[in-house]
Amino acid sequence: MTSTVDGLPPASRPLVAEVKDLRVHFQAKAGLVHAVDGVSFEIRDGETLGLVGETGCGKSVTARSFIRLIPSPPGVYAGGEIDFWSSAARRKGEGPIDLLQIPQKEMLEIRGDRIAMIFQDPGKALNPALTIGSQMSEVLFQHRSQELMEAALEEDPPAILRRAARQQSSALERLLLKLPPWRGRMRRLSRRVDELVARALTETQISNPRKIMDSYPHELSGGMKQRVLIAQALACNPDLLIADEPTTALDVTIQARILELIAELQQRLETSVLYISHDLSLVREICDRVAVMYAGRIVETGTTKEIFSNPLHPYTRGLMAAVPSAAHKRGELAAIEGNVPELVDPPPACRFNSRCPFAVEICRTTDPRAIPIGDEHSVACFAYESGDRTELPTLEQWV
Amino acid sequence: MTDVVGTPLSAAPVEGPLAVRLRRFTDLARQVLRNKTTLAGLIVIVGMVLVAFLAPVLTTPNVPDPYQMPRDWGALNEPPGTPGHILGTTSDGGDVLYGIIWGSRVSLRLSVIVVSVTVTIGVIVGSLAGFLGGKIDEILMRIVDVFLSIPELIFALAIAAVLGPSFGNIILALSMVFWVKYARIIRGQIIHVKQNEYVDAARITGDSRFNIFLKDVLPNSVTPVMVQATLDMGSIVLVGATLSFIGLAEAGLAEWGVLVSKGQVGISTGRWWASTFPGLMIFLWALAFNLVGDGLRDVLDPKTESR
Amino acid sequence: MILPILLIGVSLIVFTLSRVGGSPIGIYLSHEMTPDEVAEIEERFGLDEPLPVQYLAWAGGVLRGDLGWSGVSVAPVTQVFPDKLAATMELSVAAAIVAVTLGIGLGTFAGSRRDRLPDHLTRVFSVSGASMPVFWFAIILLIVFWVYLGWFPIGRSDANTFASIAHPTGLYTVDSVLAGNPAAFWDAIWHLVLPAITLGFGTTAIITRMMRSSLVEELGEDYVEAARAKGLPERLVMKRHARRNALIPTITVIGLSFGFLLQGTVVVEIIYQWPGLGRWLADAVLRGDQATIMAYVLFTSVLFLTVNLVVDIVYAYLDRRVVLGA
Repeated sequence: MTSTVDGLPPASRPLVAEVKDLRVHFQAKAGLVHAVDGVSFEIRDGETLGLVGETGCGKSVTARSFIRLIPSPPGVYAGGEIDFWSSAARRKGEGPIDLLQIPQKEMLEIRGDRIAMIFQDPGKALNPALTIGSQMSEVLFQHRSQELMEAALEEDPPAILRRAARQQSSALERLLLKLPPWRGRMRRLSRRVDELVARALTETQISNPRKIMDSYPHELSGGMKQRVLIAQALACNPDLLIADEPTTALDVTIQARILELIAELQQRLETSVLYISHDLSLVREICDRVAVMYAGRIVETGTTKEIFSNPLHPYTRGLMAAVPSAAHKRGELAAIEGNVPELVDPPPACRFNSRCPFAVEICRTTDPRAIPIGDEHSVACFAYESGDRTELPTLEQWV
Repeated sequence: MTDVVGTPLSAAPVEGPLAVRLRRFTDLARQVLRNKTTLAGLIVIVGMVLVAFLAPVLTTPNVPDPYQMPRDWGALNEPPGTPGHILGTTSDGGDVLYGIIWGSRVSLRLSVIVVSVTVTIGVIVGSLAGFLGGKIDEILMRIVDVFLSIPELIFALAIAAVLGPSFGNIILALSMVFWVKYARIIRGQIIHVKQNEYVDAARITGDSRFNIFLKDVLPNSVTPVMVQATLDMGSIVLVGATLSFIGLAEAGLAEWGVLVSKGQVGISTGRWWASTFPGLMIFLWALAFNLVGDGLRDVLDPKTESR
Repeated sequence: MILPILLIGVSLIVFTLSRVGGSPIGIYLSHEMTPDEVAEIEERFGLDEPLPVQYLAWAGGVLRGDLGWSGVSVAPVTQVFPDKLAATMELSVAAAIVAVTLGIGLGTFAGSRRDRLPDHLTRVFSVSGASMPVFWFAIILLIVFWVYLGWFPIGRSDANTFASIAHPTGLYTVDSVLAGNPAAFWDAIWHLVLPAITLGFGTTAIITRMMRSSLVEELGEDYVEAARAKGLPERLVMKRHARRNALIPTITVIGLSFGFLLQGTVVVEIIYQWPGLGRWLADAVLRGDQATIMAYVLFTSVLFLTVNLVVDIVYAYLDRRVVLGA
């Protein structure tokens, strides 16, 4: 929900991330699929940005590109940049890093620490063979080994312990660490990690963290698993949390609680959130700003209030009309006619033109660009080219 | 507005059930053949089967029994390349090439007979167990489990040893051991069909068990049985050759395993050909059937990834 | 569970086979005896009793350790068994070590490089291994490495070296370590190489194949992606997450392939002249020695069942989602 960071109004908050003309392609048998084709948006400090669109529009690919999770054959980062300002960088007044260009070693440091991600199906995102505690401690060992060592071990510990804290022990070392001279110190290390893990779990309102830590994923309910994953994601206090449809696989009743949790944590920890969803009603509840995506492109961005009260792009309007609400007459469910176009080697055109009731010649031959309309609202549609609003029918007339 | 791809249902002529099955069959066949390794295996199989059939034409059959290796006392232990004996001769003067060609005939006979018999036995036992259920099912499945507790080679070996050394007994022994998997497959299918709702409807309309068997169980079982049978064509020859090698077939038989065993003796003196070529044939036979069986499994039952 | 039933079933089969194969007292009979004398001997051995009684008598004998007389070794079966068992176990364990380490290693290697050259080559290897006639492979290896290159010897040991140490366990490798005799140890290892590789080859292929497909399946799971998203290096993702879970189904294959291994020992011991159970069996087959053959069948089945049971237990322990008996 809207939060004021440092008392600053949304528009003037510093940037956490800026996606500039991102292009991600996939090599398929049929040809090159342009899954993400020129996506640009910003995420500001402390805000929750919703990325909305139907299945297959490229929002998950966009999200995963932030931490380069796209498997490299068949995926290819074909262009653009994702600029990222960590909180440290902002404090020092440094410039951004391009997440698509930084070396792998640096990316590993960012993943889980500065940018964290939670996934759609909590049941599948956990390793069924490991306890919750041991999985969560991985993040801490990976990114906070220095602190752990300082808190639990003596000054200047031997190399074997340093490697253990960084999860770099060889098989032989792991065996040796079970022996007396090192066993005690390993235990202190584990205890320290467990404290941090328990603390992270309590933050998500889990009342019996120790018991959860000793459990296996299949022993927990769906909602509990998602809490665990949220706790894990926020364990290192990241600057950006990417949530890919985190409530889709959950019961409706649990959904609400998880949403509240995310919103509350986001406010308290001042994390920025990129929230992916196909569910407009959810987005409306917790997002400050919304970017609407269609067939690999952003068609409209704006504040939640603006987008929902005054949707500009024909697709956005279609989405609003398709959402069942009290405004519709009973029994009517408006759907947008047609299908998402083939994204294999697409020609320059507005991707929505085949389903758009207002399409004209230019829509079929040229790629639209984002046009700013008023305060913080932009739309990529030729209908708004001239600068003043064209006479598109209102929301009610659409149905 | 863009059209939904595909012809509307009303426009296409209705296909008869036989035509549907035929088309599905050709589609599957094309899919299977698309895999290059499977295709290679199939070519090898066809080659070997041809050789088996044409044996009397490709070579001069031995008298009185073409399945016995010919003995040429004037050409003992000849190396490959000797005129008249391209692949060399054995310690008895038997032509290795002759042995290979007639051996393929023996292998074909062995595998076809055993697979036919075992599939039949397996289907019968599996059907009895599946349809009759209850105590009979339990007893039969216990027997199946007991049979599975003894490793196949060793079981067949014991049976063949007890019956006496002859290739006919090897065929018998293998038939008594290899039926088990088919029983399981058929029984599994029957149970699956039993649990399916529409069968209850059939029973209400008075469809006899036999009809259910024909219309539901058999068609669905065809694919796993086919895959297993293909793989068994390979394994049976492997096990059969092993049994012959150990000495459970008639001496002097023109069979690959017997030949390898015969040729073994000459190895320390550097006579490698009498064992190597026949053994190579066993390998190629098993390899070809394994490749085709895997290819079939990949297409017909993609859940079980065998690669 | 049903293990006792299976054991009884197996013993029934063995008993039936042994009776089918002719009178078990054949060695005591000769053509010169009169029918009365034959009947008398038969009565002495309880062969006039009804079959179920005979079975119980035989089964009782087995449980007491009386497995009959081995015509091949001219001694009671139980007396000859331990030494031969030790030799076969040593070979089997060596082959199993080769198969498991190579199989898991190759399977991981191929699975992590899916559809690239190493994967294709590994697949060729796997199919070949499963189709390879063990006895032929043994002969080929012998031809190359023994006849032509002369690198490796045949048999289990050099007679003099073998005699120079004591044999408390019957396992040449272990005994030579216990005796502190490096020459004997190398002798043991050197003789083990070819047979172990031959025996382990087919099993390696099976394990490789299973490991590869398990690993590919695990790598496609969400938790692997989630592990990467946590910032874990690929090495850790592979080792701690993907491979560990891929090992679980592979364990079952390792257990099952044990049967494969056992069957292989028969021909491998023949060809490499290894003094173990397999060669003993082969001799028994050639001479029609029922007692030996049946003892062997009984032993291998019991072993096979036990191994499968152990594998089931281990699997249930490892995969906590599986409940024993489910």
